[in-house]
Amino acid sequence: MQSGELSEWTSQLRRGVLELCILHLLLGGPSYGYEIVTRLDRLGPLSAGENTIYPLLRRLKAERLLDTTLRDSPAGPPRLYYRLTPDGRARVASLGDEWKAMVRAVAVCMDRGDQS
Amino acid sequence: MTLEHPLTARYLGKLSDALSALDPAERHEVVEEIRHHIADATAAGRPLEGVLEALGPVDQLARAYKVELLLNPKDPRERRSWRWLRIVGLIALGSVPTFVICVVLGSIGLSFSLSGIAVFVAGVAAYTGDLPYWVEMDAPPWVALVLGPPLTLLGLLALVGLVAYVRFVARLVRQVLPRPREAAV
Repeated sequence: MQSGELSEWTSQLRRGVLELCILHLLLGGPSYGYEIVTRLDRLGPLSAGENTIYPLLRRLKAERLLDTTLRDSPAGPPRLYYRLTPDGRARVASLGDEWKAMVRAVAVCMDRGDQS
Repeated sequence: MTLEHPLTARYLGKLSDALSALDPAERHEVVEEIRHHIADATAAGRPLEGVLEALGPVDQLARAYKVELLLNPKDPRERRSWRWLRIVGLIALGSVPTFVICVVLGSIGLSFSLSGIAVFVAGVAAYTGDLPYWVEMDAPPWVALVLGPPLTLLGLLALVGLVAYVRFVARLVRQVLPRPREAAV
């Protein structure tokens, strides 16, 4: 596979799982945009760029999976923190189940090939 | 101070302009969030030019917001409540007229079509002299023969109108009611 095609494939894959990852990160507690961006950035393949993550955060908020609060920052202006709503927690659970099923199916394909 | 840097002010000003399609409160929050991001990133030691470059061209960032917020479905609960409001509106506005229309068209349809047939048959019977003794006909038989078919036709037209109206209402209700897959969500 060409490197361009590989990068496009990775980009599509990342786009699909980014919502799950952001919601999972927020299971640990509220977080603000820059912190979410840098945490994902440190995870290599999940580094999607701020111009993807911020709009996605807004959509998750519009869908009421997240809500926001302003909290004082030790340096500079108050920050906008994102936290999971009850709907968001339910979505984490359902997406998590979907992901585990997908991973199991992909693992079977990769280990043994299609035996049908 | 980074927040007052002309590059930041210009970037955020352009972003605000490019997001004019969004709700004003939403647009304000988005711009403030990007302002926070720039402040956080530069406070962490990243050069301002690099931070803005990583955010990408204003048009591209604005397009990403519009794709997520305008092209993707809105809050499903909001859509659901709006749909129920439309159902209630449809019932409130449509139930009385529907009742009246169904009763009027149904009555005209059944009574006119059946009585038209009866009048025509009675006219034929009067001509042939087979009219039962218990049927009294004041008008000449030709009047019954002439009146019968138009009466039946009028009744049938009313029944056709009733069917068309019921189909129209059913289509409206189907448009408003949640589809089975959405209802299961």
